[in-house]
Amino acid sequence: MPGLNTSLSIAVQALQAEQGALSVTTNNISNVNTPGYSRQVAVLNEAPTFNENGTIFGGGVTLEQFQSVRDQLLQLRIYEETQQQSNSQTQLNALNQVEGIFSDPTKGVGGALSAFFNSISQLSTNPTDSNARQAVLTSANNLAGSFHQAVTSLNTIGAGLDQSVPQTVDQINRLTTQIAKLNGQVAQMQGLGQDPGTIQDQRDELIRQLSGMVNVNVTQSEHGLTLTTGNGVPLVVANQSYALQSNANNTVLEHVYSAQGQDITSQITGGQLGGTIQIRDQVLPQLFTQLNDLASQFTASFNTAHQAGFDAAGNAGGNFFTPLASTTDAAANFGVAITDPSLIAASSDGSAGSSGNLTQLLALRDQQLPSGASPLDMYSNLVLQVGNLGANAQSDVTSSNASVQQLTDQRSSVSGVSLDEETTNMIRYQRAYEAGARVVTTVDSMFTTLMNMGVTT
Amino acid sequence: MRVNPDMSGDVLSAIWQTQSQENTALQQMSTGKRVNVPSDDPLAAAQMVGNQDQSNRTDQYLQNIDTLTSQLQTADGALSSVVQALTQAITLGVQGTTGTLSAGNRQQIVQNLQGIQSQLVQLANTSVGGNFLFGGTANTTPPYKLDATSPSGVTYGGNTGTNTVTVADGLNLQTNLPGSQLFQNSSGDVFGALQQLISSLQSGTATDAGTATNQLRSAFDFVTGQRIFYGNAVNQLNSTQSYLQQEQVTLKSQENTLIGADLTKAATDLTKATTAHDAALAAAAKILPTSLLDYLK
Repeated sequence: MPGLNTSLSIAVQALQAEQGALSVTTNNISNVNTPGYSRQVAVLNEAPTFNENGTIFGGGVTLEQFQSVRDQLLQLRIYEETQQQSNSQTQLNALNQVEGIFSDPTKGVGGALSAFFNSISQLSTNPTDSNARQAVLTSANNLAGSFHQAVTSLNTIGAGLDQSVPQTVDQINRLTTQIAKLNGQVAQMQGLGQDPGTIQDQRDELIRQLSGMVNVNVTQSEHGLTLTTGNGVPLVVANQSYALQSNANNTVLEHVYSAQGQDITSQITGGQLGGTIQIRDQVLPQLFTQLNDLASQFTASFNTAHQAGFDAAGNAGGNFFTPLASTTDAAANFGVAITDPSLIAASSDGSAGSSGNLTQLLALRDQQLPSGASPLDMYSNLVLQVGNLGANAQSDVTSSNASVQQLTDQRSSVSGVSLDEETTNMIRYQRAYEAGARVVTTVDSMFTTLMNMGVTT
Repeated sequence: MRVNPDMSGDVLSAIWQTQSQENTALQQMSTGKRVNVPSDDPLAAAQMVGNQDQSNRTDQYLQNIDTLTSQLQTADGALSSVVQALTQAITLGVQGTTGTLSAGNRQQIVQNLQGIQSQLVQLANTSVGGNFLFGGTANTTPPYKLDATSPSGVTYGGNTGTNTVTVADGLNLQTNLPGSQLFQNSSGDVFGALQQLISSLQSGTATDAGTATNQLRSAFDFVTGQRIFYGNAVNQLNSTQSYLQQEQVTLKSQENTLIGADLTKAATDLTKATTAHDAALAAAAKILPTSLLDYLK
């Protein structure tokens, strides 16, 4: 039969255990708003029993450990969805800027094309009117200006994206360094059989941030986590991080290289970096191609028609627009070749008063270029494409935001701190502590009774 | 079952969502447009490029029609004066054929006819804004000059070219008749007949004068006939104008269908969004502050 001393020590153990459990509650409550924090629970176990004269007695309670509550699978899905979310958001931001260039149908290349043809139409009512001739040149120069404006705006957007590449790469490297360090600590603690709780939370939060930057593949091995990007390019292996580099060979556009110097630009598909590269290397060049096609095909067909006519002096028409050597940069090099309004080849018979060739030039408004569409249709296709890209990015952002929100909610339902729960626990621990303390008081009074036995007062 | 203890994320996203719906509806109502950037409705935005161009064309066509109408009316007016002058010349020609005229009277008629000749040259050189309407496409200099050495009494410096102007999609309207066709046609030669009348009165017989007067009559008929060209052209411009004005209305309504906001719907959306927003806020106000702690004393 255990003695009073045993009861006392069991009661003290209980006091310590409840106190320990209360400290978990305290920590949980303190971290209720800490991003990435996973709530901890105190793992209480029965202490080893002891056997006295064939009777088995309970040995009280021990506070085994503090255990973080987490769902690793959910965490991985959050990483994946974050890559998608951040990728679409980056694309959407860039596309919103691109859309600005094409949003007003009365302005830009489309509006200028329309105005240019109108000025030719105006001239056709009086082909010898020098003001109307000047107006044609002015509107042609406006058209050139709007091509240049579109090119400049697209280039500015591209340059902004390009500048963000090395910055993002820096952020990635800073994150992978920290993750590698924490990774080592987690492995070490797990080796000692301890729950790495807080450190793991920090690491998970950093990986989530990393997922916002770049596509990350997370694999768990006995040495800890391995993070790779692209086609298996290592970022973090155990406690070692591998820094990405940008623009190692000083090309015009910033490329991304692995620590081993391999160009992995095209393998970056997720996160902010993936979105940036996608817009910079796929979308903008595509838009440039369309603008360039329009500029070069329009220049060529207009010049051909212009050369079929005669200028005010009766000479055969020359080039109206500057002939373009190649389609590359056609929109940027688009320009008006003549400055003298009398050189406009309005006439079809060589006399100054003929407007015959203007009718031919006007017909180009609806004529198919080699692309298979009229000039304005080519432009409206461009607008359609920009609009579709923007609308798709918008819906991607909306859906990935919803996914992330849902996953975060789900994670929170597992790992999030509930103040109600913590309050309840607090009361439980407090009551248990009070009861334990009462046992101590009771044992104490029993000791007193024992001590006073036989003492007459 | 454990539920997500942190409602703030959901609450915030609900509030943001209703707020963004409010913004959309408000933007539509204030701009009157449903499509403000291409991504709002890519297809409509692309079609607007064509719509805008069509609307620009229509404006320009209407402007062309104004310019042309005034040109054509001037030309028609000039021809009307030509016809009047010819009537006068024919009357003088008839007087000249009566054999009882004195040489002085004849001389008087010849002088009158020469006056008509130079008046006709002036009319044939009618110009608008430096363009001589009856010079064909060589219209920058006066096409007709008096020339005593020429059998017709004049020389024509113009050409036979004609111009057409696009006044509607696919409608190219011829805008001039060259003087060579109007005044020196084989079916009616105004200047030739007049010159012949003058010469026969100066040195010919009364029969010659009669023949010349008859030629002048057929020239009169021919020019009168040619005036129909101008009348038709003006009529065509008028009907094209009303078609184009109708087209402007159609394009405007098409624009409205493409990118215009349905204001009734936008207003309803706004009300709905405001109600949803209020509800989200009310729910947030109810949920967020509650905690077990409120009930523990």
